[in-house]
Amino acid sequence: MMNRLLRSMLLSVGLLSGMLAGARAETPDAALDELLKQARTECAPPADRLNRVLCSGRLRAGVREYYPLFGTREGGVNDGYEPDIARVIAKRLGVEVDFMRVNAASRIPLLAEDRIDFTIATMGHNTQRDGQARFIRPHYYQSESALIGPKALPIKTWEDVATRTICVTIGNGSNAELVSHKARLMLFDEAGVLPDRLKDETCTLATQDDSFFAYYFTDPAFAGRFEQKFGFAQVPWGMAVARTGSDKLGRALDLLSQIFHRDGTFLAIARENRIGTAFLERQRAIWQRPDCDTAQGSTNSACVLPALNAALQPTPFAAAVNTFEDWTERRLGLDVTLPMLKTAPAFSLFLNGIANSLILIAGALVATLVFAIAFGFALGSDVRPVRWLARLVTVTLQSSPIVLTLVIAAAFAHALLPYSSAVALAASILALGLSNGSNAGQAVSEAVISLHHEGGEKGMTLFVHALGRSATSIVSFLVNAAKGTPIASFIGAPELLSALTDITSFSSGRVTTYCLLLVFYTLVVMVVVWLCGLLRAWLESREVAA
Amino acid sequence: MSLRELWSDFVPSLLAAMVTNFEISFVALALGLALGLPLAMMRFYGGRASAGAAATVISLMRAAPTFVVMFFLLNVIPRDANLFGLKLALSGVMTVAVSLVPYSAAYTADAGIEALRQWRRGSPLGALLFLPNITRAFFVIVMSSGAAAAIGVPEGISVILRESALLPTLGDRLVVFAVGIVLFGVPLQLGLALMRYLQRALGRRVVAS
Repeated sequence: MMNRLLRSMLLSVGLLSGMLAGARAETPDAALDELLKQARTECAPPADRLNRVLCSGRLRAGVREYYPLFGTREGGVNDGYEPDIARVIAKRLGVEVDFMRVNAASRIPLLAEDRIDFTIATMGHNTQRDGQARFIRPHYYQSESALIGPKALPIKTWEDVATRTICVTIGNGSNAELVSHKARLMLFDEAGVLPDRLKDETCTLATQDDSFFAYYFTDPAFAGRFEQKFGFAQVPWGMAVARTGSDKLGRALDLLSQIFHRDGTFLAIARENRIGTAFLERQRAIWQRPDCDTAQGSTNSACVLPALNAALQPTPFAAAVNTFEDWTERRLGLDVTLPMLKTAPAFSLFLNGIANSLILIAGALVATLVFAIAFGFALGSDVRPVRWLARLVTVTLQSSPIVLTLVIAAAFAHALLPYSSAVALAASILALGLSNGSNAGQAVSEAVISLHHEGGEKGMTLFVHALGRSATSIVSFLVNAAKGTPIASFIGAPELLSALTDITSFSSGRVTTYCLLLVFYTLVVMVVVWLCGLLRAWLESREVAA
Repeated sequence: MSLRELWSDFVPSLLAAMVTNFEISFVALALGLALGLPLAMMRFYGGRASAGAAATVISLMRAAPTFVVMFFLLNVIPRDANLFGLKLALSGVMTVAVSLVPYSAAYTADAGIEALRQWRRGSPLGALLFLPNITRAFFVIVMSSGAAAAIGVPEGISVILRESALLPTLGDRLVVFAVGIVLFGVPLQLGLALMRYLQRALGRRVVAS
């Protein structure tokens, strides 16, 4: 009986200690210790990069050297949030860290070429990059696109952004979201110029990663004038290792990242470097949860963030377009890129842009003709107040640059109606018609006066003949109206120039795109010139017939 | 917006920025003359082929929309472009000025051809009407140079837009727009008056001769 009791007790103790041991093995700390212990004993090639790092005692980290607060190099010393994390990782692994400079273009290729062991270099984790490198989870930071503007500017939500011009950098993934909220984009090649363009007031609003602007907000003068209006397009940042030969190193970094979040290591380093900590505070709470603080936490979808899905849906004929681009490069030596045909959102913008441009041109021509007749009639009227009022409006319209006339028309339209593409198009048609129609109307009234002096005719017959006499001027202002339609993009009319600017803001192929745009508008204007020639011949025949 | 703010802050900065509009216009007109006059000569004196080529170039330039040309130049010319060691990269002001050259050159060529025709007919004063026509083109260019605001060049229109963006009511904005129209309108109307005077004076001399 005693033996059975003793056996039962021993069995229970054994089971309990086994369970406790198992629980200990479930923690990321224990899993990391086990992994490192094993890796230190396997130095013979072929080995995982973790074995090599531990056996050689050196960890090669790819870091940025000109990204204030996150990765800089001054006096031969790498400084910032990311180099500091690399140092803490190296310390935990018991090795020395060697920094290698990387940039946005080289941070993944250098991994593949085995010139660095891992990269920690302001790299957003998206689904496209998942195929190029193995990202470490959990993510060590998260950035978002920040809309920056003067404190006096009342902007709080997306609704306040429609029709406003926002300075952005070409290729920024968040540009598509700005476009979808009807913002107009002013494109720049490099982010570095944006703060200066805000300061010299070239840009009223600018968008870039909050991590980029974080440095500028440490300047009291900048922080005194500008503020972040709101953030959007959150992107998790990930360390990464090569897709092959780095399984254990990747696993070790996964576990380390878990531990660093849970213990507040990332948070402390972020505070030391004066960067935003809201994301890290949220992550710390997540990684302290029992369901996440396990050896398998980095694969638990309830704990880790998904990669940003940055891939745009391709068009059904995207493959054929790629084949055509390859063919032109191979056979003709021309670097033709047609981004507007490759993805569904770009193709939709492109088609709408063409349709809206044609509507705008047709509308501007009709409006110019109608206003020319109306102004001609009013300026040649026998009723003095009508004539004076028409003259005042004509002089005012002539004195206003067309861009300003468009802006005024848009201001009235937006005061009366909520913003929409149709409202922007209508305001543009009205402004172009008024501006060109008033000038053409002046020519008509001068013809009316000249015919009046010659005597003979009166009333409607005289007016019709005056239209014939001023046909050259009318046609010239009709052509001018057609040529002026691309300016409508300035007030947010979604015509082709606007559409292609939006497309090139989130894709490549600027040269081909703007060449096609120039050809399109030049051809359309030439067609308008030809049609206007027919109109002039008809109007002049009316005068000859008279 | 108070009247004091308007006069002490906005108007001086608008006037200062409008200098850029005139700079752009002078450069565009000078380049337009340099390109348009030889084209007019080719069109008028050239053989069939050269006259045809000149006519084609002139009609293409006449059809090219300034705003699209501006974006084309901005996006197609690389920042580090150079030709025979000469830096080709255009500043914002030069991009706008060059984008106005097709209009300026086509207008110069048309006016130049008419002037040559008058000269051949034995009317030197008729040919001199070229001058008021070029004056008209200059003021058209000044008004068109406001498109520079779209690419961030700090000229008159961008100052007006910047000021109006900070104002809460449509009424305040309209005041700013009205000041802009007056300040752009005064030189334009003076220029047009000068042109009309020149045309009348030359016309009287043509009749007298």
